Amino acid sequence: MHTTIRGIALLILAVAAYFAPVLAGGSGAVYSALVLIAIFAAMSYGLDLIVSDLGEVSLAHTVFFAVGCYTTALLSTRAGAGGWATLGASIGAALLFAAVLGLVTLRLREFVFSLVTYAIAVVASTVAQNWSFLGGSDGLRGIPVLDLSLPGLTLKAGNDRELWPIAFGLLVVVLYLVDRFRNSRLGSAAVMTHLNTRLAIVSGIDPQQVRLKVFLFSAPITASAGWLYAYQRAYVSADVLDSYFLILMLTAVVLVGRRLLLGPLLATVLVLGQEKFLSLGGYADKIILGSVLIATLALFPKGLIGFVEPLRAMLRGRGADTVRRSGAA
Amino acid sequence: MNLGQQFLNGLVLGHAYALVAIGWTVLLGVARLVNFGHGQMYMLGAFVTWFAISGLGLPYVLAIPVAIGAGILVGLVLQRVMLKATIDQNLVSIMIMTLGFGYVLHGAAALVFGSTGQILDTPLAQKELAFGDMWLTWQDIAIVVVAIVEFLVLKFVLDRTRIGRLVRMVAEDPKLAELAGVDIRRVYLAVFAFEGAAVAFAGAMVGPRTPILTSMGFEEVIMTFVVVVLGGIGSVFGSYVAGLALGLFTAFFGALISPAYTTAAAFAVLIAVLVLRPGGLAAGAR
Repeated sequence: MHTTIRGIALLILAVAAYFAPVLAGGSGAVYSALVLIAIFAAMSYGLDLIVSDLGEVSLAHTVFFAVGCYTTALLSTRAGAGGWATLGASIGAALLFAAVLGLVTLRLREFVFSLVTYAIAVVASTVAQNWSFLGGSDGLRGIPVLDLSLPGLTLKAGNDRELWPIAFGLLVVVLYLVDRFRNSRLGSAAVMTHLNTRLAIVSGIDPQQVRLKVFLFSAPITASAGWLYAYQRAYVSADVLDSYFLILMLTAVVLVGRRLLLGPLLATVLVLGQEKFLSLGGYADKIILGSVLIATLALFPKGLIGFVEPLRAMLRGRGADTVRRSGAA
Repeated sequence: MNLGQQFLNGLVLGHAYALVAIGWTVLLGVARLVNFGHGQMYMLGAFVTWFAISGLGLPYVLAIPVAIGAGILVGLVLQRVMLKATIDQNLVSIMIMTLGFGYVLHGAAALVFGSTGQILDTPLAQKELAFGDMWLTWQDIAIVVVAIVEFLVLKFVLDRTRIGRLVRMVAEDPKLAELAGVDIRRVYLAVFAFEGAAVAFAGAMVGPRTPILTSMGFEEVIMTFVVVVLGGIGSVFGSYVAGLALGLFTAFFGALISPAYTTAAAFAVLIAVLVLRPGGLAAGAR
């Protein structure tokens, strides 16, 4: 019963969200902002699984995002591949990178793991800037219009207005996958490994296998966001490995609350909303974003949702409170 | 390629790496904390020095303490904000917060100092010392001397003084140290202040070697990480040796193979070590 209500509520929310750009005025800027929100939210969900569920800080998810961007750019500009082919290739490449990364970091824990993933991202950035195959510092330009046409159905997206349904679709798919993951055995195993590794081992879970699998599941999610981003921008360069994306992802994961299905999406709306409509200039926005990340962790470690819980308890009535108090005495 | 020159370059570079890493050696090895904003704090040290010289007209000798002061300030702010997470040993939060700080520092530095590259010119960097067909600048010599002195002083303080003992106690078990009457907040503040001072000082000393940009700092973190892990987390002497080894490796790799990929190569070496020996090179010795 509860699940059905939840399902209906989400459906209504989804329909409303689809028409959000129209409701917000329908201008080019609005479509552009919403497409980016969808892309960056999808990107962040990949990291969300690692940070919120597995409890590790992977700083290499920008590499998966870049893998999606570059695979798409390379195949579409040099091999004339269409939208579905580039999507498939991006997912495949991401799985490959995730497998290598996962195996290399299998025995590393905590800060060493994070430092290694950080270094991988920086090295990837150096390679992207210097390797002529990837376009060097100029990057890859001239990415064609996204063509997801199927026999009998033409589906091309030449601007942000046309990209919106695809971006929205991507977001919905990602949300569905995250929800399924959290309700799966792997999802539970991940949380158990995070909260009590010894107990997990005793109950038959192999923490290293779980880590590897969660990595393999999360990487394509972030990479598919990279796939769409390449088409949205029509060019790809080493700047997709910029720390902006990492900070954005991390903020999306911690700002609203942990392991909340819509958490990263809401957070991305807030962050990009500020950036697009209340910007104070590039570098000032950096200061704002970084400060939001720091403030969240320092002041509201549980996320903004930490405000909602006590309010909810208050609204539920002081009756419940008195019962609890007398019970404790 | 002049072997002797590359060897000399490697030695100087090695001391530079050791100097940049010394703050982390204490932070990570002794307080078990990671600071991802380390590279940006290095950048800040270099830029504050540059600004003090070219903007405020101070001589280099006075610009250095200004940079150190800025470093201490940032270190203290960092620690004050992260105090609760530090005491709770919430490593995930600490790591992400230091990343956020690095990002804020980048934005703030770009806003204040601009985003174009600058040269940190000092009287020492302009004077050279030549022997045969090899040469060094006095700045290079200063880096070597300063690094050695700083390492010796640090080793002495950690091993032989009361403050060193307190720091090591807190590293071992903060809650127990607190019960034993140690004011762990002050110890953490001191450790972060030292990290800030040391890395800013490194920025002031090593900055003159290359053009400085407000967007720099990422490679410095990796090199520091490599030095500290290869040398064995917690070993002051180990980081010095690892720094030198890394410097020589970088110099020769850069000259023989490719200057653009030296960081990648150093990192690859680290990965090889970590995969084979997750505890670092010193792990076997324990």
